Amino acid sequence: MRSKWVRYPLGAVRTGVMNYYTWFMFVGIYVVTGIFVPTILSSAILLNVLVQGTTVCLLSFGMTFVMLVGEIDLSMVAVAAFSPMGAILAWEAGLPVPAAIVLTPLLGCGIGFCNGVMITRLKIPSLVQTVAMWWMLEGVVLIVTRGVAKAGLPDTWMLLGRIFIGPIPLLVFFFLLVVVIAILFARRTVTGRRLYMVGGSRQASSAMGIPVNRIRIISFMISGLFAALAGYVSSSRMGFVSASFAVEWLMPAIAAPVIAGVSLTGGRGNFVNVIAGAYLVQLIVMVVRAGGVGGYFTEFVQGLLVFIAILVNAGRQRVTGK
Amino acid sequence: MIEVKDICKSFGTVRALSKVSFELERGKILGLVGDNGAGNSTLLKILSGDLQPSAGAIYLEGRRMTFRSPADAMRMRIAIAYQFLELVDSAMVWENFFMGRELTKGIGPFVFLDIPKMKQLTAAAISKYGAGLDVRREAGELSGEERQILAVTRAIEANPEILLLDESFTRLSLEGRKEIVDFLREVNKRNDITMVIVSHDLDLVKELSHYIMVLRGGERVYYGRSDDISIDEIVSYMLP
Repeated sequence: MRSKWVRYPLGAVRTGVMNYYTWFMFVGIYVVTGIFVPTILSSAILLNVLVQGTTVCLLSFGMTFVMLVGEIDLSMVAVAAFSPMGAILAWEAGLPVPAAIVLTPLLGCGIGFCNGVMITRLKIPSLVQTVAMWWMLEGVVLIVTRGVAKAGLPDTWMLLGRIFIGPIPLLVFFFLLVVVIAILFARRTVTGRRLYMVGGSRQASSAMGIPVNRIRIISFMISGLFAALAGYVSSSRMGFVSASFAVEWLMPAIAAPVIAGVSLTGGRGNFVNVIAGAYLVQLIVMVVRAGGVGGYFTEFVQGLLVFIAILVNAGRQRVTGK
Repeated sequence: MIEVKDICKSFGTVRALSKVSFELERGKILGLVGDNGAGNSTLLKILSGDLQPSAGAIYLEGRRMTFRSPADAMRMRIAIAYQFLELVDSAMVWENFFMGRELTKGIGPFVFLDIPKMKQLTAAAISKYGAGLDVRREAGELSGEERQILAVTRAIEANPEILLLDESFTRLSLEGRKEIVDFLREVNKRNDITMVIVSHDLDLVKELSHYIMVLRGGERVYYGRSDDISIDEIVSYMLP
């Protein structure tokens, strides 16, 4: 690597920029926006972006894992509500809080497993299966809660959002740990690499002895796990869970991987860029609010900016061919 | 020695192969040619276990073989390399090379991919036959001959006795053709591998093969030494 930098410094810089362009885009937009809206450069807002972005980032990571195998999981936003809600109900029924916390990701994995089995065994398209699952789970939460948000969560449950190390809440460190493990898993483990291979070509993977359906099921279990973690982290920060408290994150969770260059047809995706993609989307949402775009225009402007970011990525893909 | 005896294959009322037979000594290369629909690919699929014959038998070193799947054939050390089906374009050369049999290192639950070793072994395996390939390139960026070299090198890692190459020589440049001919000769010589090659590139098949078999309408119309037949004669056998 060192010799490449010495021999082709410009080429290496170009490759570096192209490979991690999402980060350049994120930092660039942050700085440029800061010139017009200086408040967003304050440490308080920076911390706010960092904390609020954790939910979108966790959901985007889960979405990326299924996108890698060429699938999509729209049920993630419902899993993000259902899993913590199920765990809280179990706590109310007498389960100790630590056990309820452990139950949350298990529920997410379980739902992901159901999705995966239906999609691989019954050959239901993932879009259809996960929309059905989304609808059902949201319905279950509505039935159980009668449409009322569940507040008054136990203190131990809220530790992540309440304990601070310096000015930074514990949940940021928890989030970083999860992100590092996920990147390590995707890049350095057999199952992680096989997700890329299966997404690249199911036929080739199968011919070379990779258990394609098992890998696809695992990808849905991981997306369920990340959805549950996103739900847990958010509820520990906000102090409540409701049937639709995660729905507004669905579009960001899909947009972030796409901006980061994750292929919708599978086989390609860099998790380091997905972090930048998620924070870019979070930044856009905040900038639009901080910039005073009011009322009915908010969603339109947010969507427009995300669309522009996706166009920039499409241009990059044309240049690099990846 | 592989012996194929009176192989027949029908798809409904369509007869794809009718009583095709041949014998091939160990280490020899057979070029299988014929027009589209002549039955070449069907025969290769039967040899690789992908299809089962309606009648007839295959013998390996005198033992009758029945392949129910490609895995069965692989157990009997028959490997097949398709150029365009078995590579993942978005993955790097070394990833394709070790696909499904990744090398790992670590202790207990902390088992990680041994990427440096896989890269090194891939480079070594490919350079063994005089070919050079940057193992960090994506398979989608490779030329036709480079893809072929990768697919064949990977197939022979399983140490097969018989290697089947299906329609692998399309999209080759002139230099690429020479490279692949040299490469396959080297593979054949070094490993003493029996090869069956299906291709429409008659020049290449004739140059590479010890024997030529021409199929027409599912029937064997010529079988003989490659040196004993000209390209024009092969073509005349292929045409109705």
